[in-house]
Amino acid sequence: MSKFFKTIIAFAFLSVVPFSASAEVTFVSWGGAYTESQIKAYGDTYSDPDSIIFEPYNGGLGEVRAQVESGNVAWDIVDVLPSEAIIGCDEGLFEDLSDVAWTDAPDGTSMEDDLAASGVTIMPPCCAPQIFWTYVAFYDPDNFPGNWSGAKPEGIADFFDVENFPGKRGVHTWANAIVEMALVADGVGVNDVYDVLETPEGVDRAFAKLDTIKDHIVHWSAGSKPLELVKSGEVVMSLAYNGRVGAANLSEGENFEYIWEGQVIEQEYICLMNGAPNRDAAIDFMIHASSSESQAEQAKYITYGPMRASGIDIIAAGEPWFHTGINVLDQMPNTPDKLAISVIGDPTWWADNGSEISERYGAWMGN
Amino acid sequence: MEAHISTAEQVLLTTDGIPLKDSLKKTERRNKIKAFLLVFPLLLFIIVTFVVPIFDMLGRSIDDSQINQVYPKTFEEYGKWDKKADELPPEEVFKAIYFELGTGDKIMIGRALTRMNYSKSGWKSLIKKTQRQIKKDLKAETVITSYKDRLIEINEKWADRTYWYAMSQMINERTPIYYWNALDRTYDAEMNVVRQSEERRIYVKTWIKTFKVSVYVTFFCLLLGFPVAHLLANLPLRYSNLLMIFVLLPFWTSLLVRTTAWIVMLQQNGVINGVLVWLGILCDDCRIQMVYNETGTLIAMTQILLPFMILPLYSVMKVIPPSHLRAAANLGAKPFTAFIRVYLPQTVPGMSAGGLLVFVLAIGYFITPELVGGKDGQLIGHWIAYHLKTTLNWGLCAALGAILLGIMLILYWLYNRIVGIDNIKLG
Repeated sequence: MSKFFKTIIAFAFLSVVPFSASAEVTFVSWGGAYTESQIKAYGDTYSDPDSIIFEPYNGGLGEVRAQVESGNVAWDIVDVLPSEAIIGCDEGLFEDLSDVAWTDAPDGTSMEDDLAASGVTIMPPCCAPQIFWTYVAFYDPDNFPGNWSGAKPEGIADFFDVENFPGKRGVHTWANAIVEMALVADGVGVNDVYDVLETPEGVDRAFAKLDTIKDHIVHWSAGSKPLELVKSGEVVMSLAYNGRVGAANLSEGENFEYIWEGQVIEQEYICLMNGAPNRDAAIDFMIHASSSESQAEQAKYITYGPMRASGIDIIAAGEPWFHTGINVLDQMPNTPDKLAISVIGDPTWWADNGSEISERYGAWMGN
Repeated sequence: MEAHISTAEQVLLTTDGIPLKDSLKKTERRNKIKAFLLVFPLLLFIIVTFVVPIFDMLGRSIDDSQINQVYPKTFEEYGKWDKKADELPPEEVFKAIYFELGTGDKIMIGRALTRMNYSKSGWKSLIKKTQRQIKKDLKAETVITSYKDRLIEINEKWADRTYWYAMSQMINERTPIYYWNALDRTYDAEMNVVRQSEERRIYVKTWIKTFKVSVYVTFFCLLLGFPVAHLLANLPLRYSNLLMIFVLLPFWTSLLVRTTAWIVMLQQNGVINGVLVWLGILCDDCRIQMVYNETGTLIAMTQILLPFMILPLYSVMKVIPPSHLRAAANLGAKPFTAFIRVYLPQTVPGMSAGGLLVFVLAIGYFITPELVGGKDGQLIGHWIAYHLKTTLNWGLCAALGAILLGIMLILYWLYNRIVGIDNIKLG
């Protein structure tokens, strides 16, 4: 792209993107209850809460790439999905932070070991770890359909079992997690899912399992939808983000039950934009936000699990932990017992194969 | 300005003695320049914010130059590979890529990786793992006799021909491959255009679906909007003003509010199903599925785009003198004939304006179909947004956008041939 075009586009951006003259760090995140929890857990506990501005965005790396390519970077820290963290880091959209001294856990464990204890072995070098969130199946036991012959659904195989648990299921409109769950329901061990998916036969197997519930699916694309679908009876079971279900249970008096077996645990990272206007202040904030204490603090407001294993220890020691005074560990997706029956999502595999699988899933949905 | 007719050549002159024609031309030119200067800021604004980005995006749809900057030597040697003779590329290719990976700029390679993955999934992790190992080799200054064997030793995928074949797609600086991808096609090993493997064919289906939905929505809008506009145009002013508010009020309400309201109305336990069951028309188990499928998309989109059809039709119908219909009746036409032969042709400009507006908007819509369409709600806008945000495949995204633009231009040209673009009036 010629320099002339670049300057024209930069000019266009300049007229649209607001300037931030002071040393305020712009922290860009997903909005809603999730960012509220970040404000309370990271912002309010920081040494200078007013210096951090939280802004919402719609996800994806489109804006990040546009800003970095045009040279007019307005954001400092971005909260991204793990595959985006990897892609962004490779492409130089995020700055390499391998030299930063992250904080140790209260018992002295380094950040690396802390993450390894949670099952995370690869951390993109441009980012700091945040929380685990999961795709989990859930249902409303108070709304049991009369035609369920079995006892309650217990594992992900029951989600795919329309004979014993008839009724519609809520599934999201993209391929992440549902492909892994299909394999687990078909008998693959939770730690072997990605090895099976490496082969074309493995992918075919996952789609064959999906075919068994194809006619019973109601698709959702917005995070709040699955709760509405289950509550209104439109579906009998649905996949959802675990934090939404937790919020409904803890703050809205709902009584949803989780099907923990076969849940897919995804990571979340906060990354530093390359060319961030307030780089040093941003790095300081990232160090604070990725400490075990901050991560545990976030669990007081939303039921996403800290990526650092020491965070779970802090929560366990401090129960009842939720800010309303209730226990939160049973809603936490990454306690050791639940980790053993969960699939830890592999962002590297998704960064490699994501677009091919998504196209296949899109075609499968449309048939 | 008085005109004197000079005796000799019969040329009109102004009082200043200048020929009238020239004086007129000069004044016209001055007016044109004044008008141009008034519009100039807007023109500049549109060029900077609209035309330049569009051409930039179009350029991206054929641009593949970043890979060439990363692997110049590899591609040069690659061209010498006789694919029919050898199964794998010659040793020079392996040696070239070994050094280009080991000593190349990390960020540029990173960008190229994302692109390479579009040709074949798996390139990214293969090259990242290999790169790490090569760097260790170079540091330890290991002596290597055969780069081919060393690379295959690092990772057996280097011996997989499909990876090497996929590389042939990336050699040219300008490539039409994104346009082929947007039509469910790709290159095979010999660079012939073939259809994608069956389970990945979504784009053609999506184009057809988007087109179909837009045509249906335009048709329904016309069907529903024509009577409303006719009523509004023929009522006395104070009633039509009141009714016009009913048309405009939803228009001014937020799009998301309207879409969510439709979900509440149409869902299984929603208002419509509830009323029908209560009236006994439907049994409790046979509720109609009206949302999260194509029906929901059509209903919601029609309601949202209706004002765009009603307003142009209304403003055109308002200008049709009622005396025309009376005259037709006077000349012996039955009401139906009068309507078809006198009234309808005069509303064609309004129908064209409304139809074009609704169609163009419908074809690009993606929020409403996503929310109410369920699995049928993934129109072409969804894929454009997906490639813009998630895969960062801006080449494919630009190609999809360019095709959309091309379709609209073709339709515009067709419309001009059949109906004539002067036949569009907004009132």
